[in-house]
Amino acid sequence: MMDAIAAEFLKFRTLRANLYLLISSLAAVGLSAGVAFLVARGFDNQQGADLRRFDSLGDGLGTGLPFAHLVIGALGALSVTTEYGTGHISTSLTAVPARRTFLLAKVPVLVAVSLVAGQVLVFGMYAATMAVLGTRADTVLLGGETLGASLSEPGVLAGLLITGASMPLVALIGLGLGTAIRSTAGTLVTLTALLLILPVAAQTLPRPLGYQIGAYLVGALPAQIAADGLLSPIAAGALLAAYTVAALAAAVVAIALRGHRIRPLLAGSAATIVLVGATSVSAAASPTSTLAWKPCGKMLCSEIRVPVNWAEPQGRTITLPLAMLPHTGRRHRIGVLFSIPGGPGGSGVQDLERHAGSFAQIRDSFDVVSLLPRNGVELGVLDQDCLTTGPWITTADNEREWAALARSNRAAAERCRAADPELFAHLDSASFARDIDAIRSAMGERQFTFMATSYGGVPGIAYARLFPSRVRAMYLDGIVNTLRGKSEGDRARYTLMEAQFTRFSQWCAHDSACALYGRDVGTAWNELRFAADRSPVPAEKGVVYSGFDITVAAMPDIVTPGEDNARWKELAQAIRRAEKGDATGFSDYVKAGTLGSLKPPSTVGMNMTHCLDGIGYRDYAEYRRLRALGDRIAPHLSGNELWHPLGCVGWPEPVRNPAAPLPADRLPPFVGAGTWTDYADTADLALRVPGSGTIRFEGSGHGLYHTGDPCTIAHANRYFIDSRVPPRNTVCRAES
Amino acid sequence: MRAILGLEAPQAGSALVAGRPYASLKRPLLTLGALLDAGAVHGGRTARAHVACVARSNGIGLARVDEVLDRAGLTSVAGKRIAKFSLGMKQRLGIAVALLGDPEALMFDEPVNGLDPEGVRWIRELMRALAAEGRAVLVSSHLMAEMAMTADHVVVVGRGRLIADTATAALAERYRRDVLVRAADPAALAMVLRADGGVVRAEDGLAVTGLEARRIGELAFAHGIALYELTPREASLEEAFMELTDDSREYVTR
Repeated sequence: MMDAIAAEFLKFRTLRANLYLLISSLAAVGLSAGVAFLVARGFDNQQGADLRRFDSLGDGLGTGLPFAHLVIGALGALSVTTEYGTGHISTSLTAVPARRTFLLAKVPVLVAVSLVAGQVLVFGMYAATMAVLGTRADTVLLGGETLGASLSEPGVLAGLLITGASMPLVALIGLGLGTAIRSTAGTLVTLTALLLILPVAAQTLPRPLGYQIGAYLVGALPAQIAADGLLSPIAAGALLAAYTVAALAAAVVAIALRGHRIRPLLAGSAATIVLVGATSVSAAASPTSTLAWKPCGKMLCSEIRVPVNWAEPQGRTITLPLAMLPHTGRRHRIGVLFSIPGGPGGSGVQDLERHAGSFAQIRDSFDVVSLLPRNGVELGVLDQDCLTTGPWITTADNEREWAALARSNRAAAERCRAADPELFAHLDSASFARDIDAIRSAMGERQFTFMATSYGGVPGIAYARLFPSRVRAMYLDGIVNTLRGKSEGDRARYTLMEAQFTRFSQWCAHDSACALYGRDVGTAWNELRFAADRSPVPAEKGVVYSGFDITVAAMPDIVTPGEDNARWKELAQAIRRAEKGDATGFSDYVKAGTLGSLKPPSTVGMNMTHCLDGIGYRDYAEYRRLRALGDRIAPHLSGNELWHPLGCVGWPEPVRNPAAPLPADRLPPFVGAGTWTDYADTADLALRVPGSGTIRFEGSGHGLYHTGDPCTIAHANRYFIDSRVPPRNTVCRAES
Repeated sequence: MRAILGLEAPQAGSALVAGRPYASLKRPLLTLGALLDAGAVHGGRTARAHVACVARSNGIGLARVDEVLDRAGLTSVAGKRIAKFSLGMKQRLGIAVALLGDPEALMFDEPVNGLDPEGVRWIRELMRALAAEGRAVLVSSHLMAEMAMTADHVVVVGRGRLIADTATAALAERYRRDVLVRAADPAALAMVLRADGGVVRAEDGLAVTGLEARRIGELAFAHGIALYELTPREASLEEAFMELTDDSREYVTR
């Protein structure tokens, strides 16, 4: 055997055609570089958000690899088809009459040559792509990948090494086909079909069938060995081995003399069947869901029954609607991305429907699921009109006013509670979290990947506390942070809101579209507020606005200036009119956003969860202390932070989900993202878990992923897919 | 020959080389050298590389490669690509490969095909020389004249069946010496010739064996019988072959 191998080495070396073939394989590097060049040029012609819409070049092998595979496969094929073509085969078989020895002696030669060539090509293609892309490679794309993959990223180096190491198998497939087919032309046509044409043909099939078939083709396997693809690494490895074994078995059968073919045929078939079997066994490990999903519009819908009171799992149940933006099948399905809606009481079903576009890329890797939660105002168990209205809050100046507020809050609560007192007592975020885990369990998922938006952070925190091992990842987007002490939280929020108010007043000072243009906005605003506190400004139907009412009503406009600062313009108008004794600028706005309430209502639908989650004041003394804090540190927005807690004064139900620390050592790193006014609370929570990262959005607004900020989505998707946490203080800016 | 080398599987029976199937020989070229097809080469290699590749597979050193190239008269073109070789040069190359292992036995299939007269002569002398060195040389050929001049022993095969297996001389002997005689009085002459020990067979004239033409002429003269024709006939190996294979030929021109 050693002589035969040495002879094959000599045969390989003494044919100049092999050298030319190896040199021609370098064209693969050129192909990769060329595609990278075209992408780089396209990239330079785009701006802002469009930059994030590029498909990642990954390690840059994409275009060059099929060509490299073809050349290496041809190298293997030609090592035997030229023997048949020239007739040299009879000389070879006379010198080495043991046919299997003759055939297998070619294996070490091809393996050695294609291993070296493979690594050179793979790293050449990678280096060429990255050299052409330059710094563009670092751009994080919507798909969660960077435009080009850095060697320092986990899995990239391993992927390149494995892809290079897979070249010998492609060479052996070529050798096997060549021996079985004997004709050079026939073998090259077969290899071209297998390595170049089939992948393209698969792409033209309807999705997701095309993706699935594509994943089984030779060229797609190395990447799936390196990292989970549509096939698991073990399945991909077994399948690549199966291709090789089948081709070599065919070769051994084809080269054997008549009468000596049965044994290799049986052995080769058996080995191939075992390997293909290994592929399907490990591919069949997808979770089994007990939920029935039916199409509803562009989504799938289902429902789940959960106990009203989780302390009595066998007790009465309610049914919660579920929605799913299903996995596209383009890539390996990682699992379920569960979107926890805010509010409290907001509909996650509606979030998915409205913001489907924001989930377009992550659906390549996840089923995106959400629900209409138990506290959802549209659920219909409690009266919706009742939930979306509530008492107007007044700041109590003494215990008598405090008691009056308690009476009015309690009356509003009792009105809504009557329809279902048991449910009303269990609308806390911990019950919500248990509902989510029931969905996880019903879907057969070991873990969920989470996205919590706004007040969704509170059930998110509760879930992380109750089921830490079920959290694969937790992305927090502009969340409400109940783990921060009230003083500390108020202090931080007042500071941020004041900064936002300063942005508003600076805009006003510089833009003639502002109704207060040319005036000192801060002074004008405060004069209005203090005057209104002494003598409230009338709106309509006898309703009057205090300074507190004006502040609370203005807050959403201050936080979110909107397109072309439309809401800042509206706010400046409202201030201007209020100065002249007409508060309808504010009341009209509040009316439009509520069921016609003339002042900001402390809606029962929010309070019924807020109060059970313990966001209310412990007592009158705590209220006084925090009110004083606001007066001290928030010259323009004092009182604003009092609004929600005051809604819980006199609440008829006890706190069921008090804030409690996270089991940080049992949780994966979190990622928090927030705008100017959201960042601090969100980052504070995320960074309670070691290794977490944050995305700071330099801009106004509330909520980033749902509303479609490409930069935030890109970083969040990267985290969802690979658990890659952006560096602390990663910054995003509005990209239009 | 292909069956002997294991290139074809016989439908029945087996071929052994040195008592073993060829395919089981560890370094077969050391036992049997063969040239079946001079075209069984890759034109992209140089002559020397081609021989070296075959040599390496049987553990034969490079010194021997140069030796056989020299013996085949290819030293001056050893560095040239085979694609540029004439058929004759390829034939020499094949012979060089066959000689590589210094084997006790050699097989040549139609070795003089495509050779110029000088080449034919070279091959003939080479084969004789190899035989003289004590090696067994098995040559197949359709050129009977060549075989008559080269072979000591012939095996005649027709339609896959053995027709003759005999010394070349003995075969020729069997069909030699015969004199065709036409005479004015064949019956009288036949009697005279038989009396002198000749064997006479009447065909178109008399076919005489056992007597030289010269002696027949003298006897006729002595008995006053006029001769019209006296032709000594010598059967060539070719005719012997044709005769032997008369009903074994697969393709017959009519």
